[in-house]
Amino acid sequence: MPVYKVSYVVTGSEHPGAIVNRDHAPVVGEQITLGDYTFEVIEVLDLMPPRGEFYYIHATIRLLRAEQEK
Amino acid sequence: MELTNILQKVELFNGLSEDELGDVASICTEKQLHRGEIITSQGAHGDELYIVTEGFVEIILDDSRKEPHKVVVNLGEGQLIGEMSLIDQGPRSATVRAALEPTIVQVIRRDHFEELCDHNNRIGYIVMRNLASDLSFKLRHRNLSEGSR
Repeated sequence: MPVYKVSYVVTGSEHPGAIVNRDHAPVVGEQITLGDYTFEVIEVLDLMPPRGEFYYIHATIRLLRAEQEK
Repeated sequence: MELTNILQKVELFNGLSEDELGDVASICTEKQLHRGEIITSQGAHGDELYIVTEGFVEIILDDSRKEPHKVVVNLGEGQLIGEMSLIDQGPRSATVRAALEPTIVQVIRRDHFEELCDHNNRIGYIVMRNLASDLSFKLRHRNLSEGSR
């Protein structure tokens, strides 16, 4: 089963971004959650060539909303 | 889920056989953390590698000349913490704090890790190659992140 290692970089916000393994590749327009924050994916690029089952992806995202602390 | 199935989705172990993943699993200890709990402190001595298997952690740099206690990145499922100390045996390069409730990590002690690599050089070679790839990925992420500011 492929694993997508994703580098999320946030544009237009002080949020530091994240690196997370996902079971699917990010898609432009998709909403994703990182901790207490929800973002929209605005750009997706291959960061490094795939190796084995691992794919290395960069996604630029923008902040949509911050949730209350759970 | 079995620990070997979890480890199979961690880049560090990409290329290991099922038996080898079992050997790695035998030196892992699970640790459950509360939100806000500190895992490692910048400057402290460290001889453990951590793998995030659930939740999120914040990587915090304290550069008092610039910005004290700045979160530089969040790391989620499948990511490594403490890999630099594992390689160079230097002090921890950052403070790491659990950012979600719960956050679960697998802990591998350096001496157990080195013993396993000495015993099975193939594991040592594959893990070291993957460790280099992980550091490269983090550097690329950092470059892109700084370029976006």
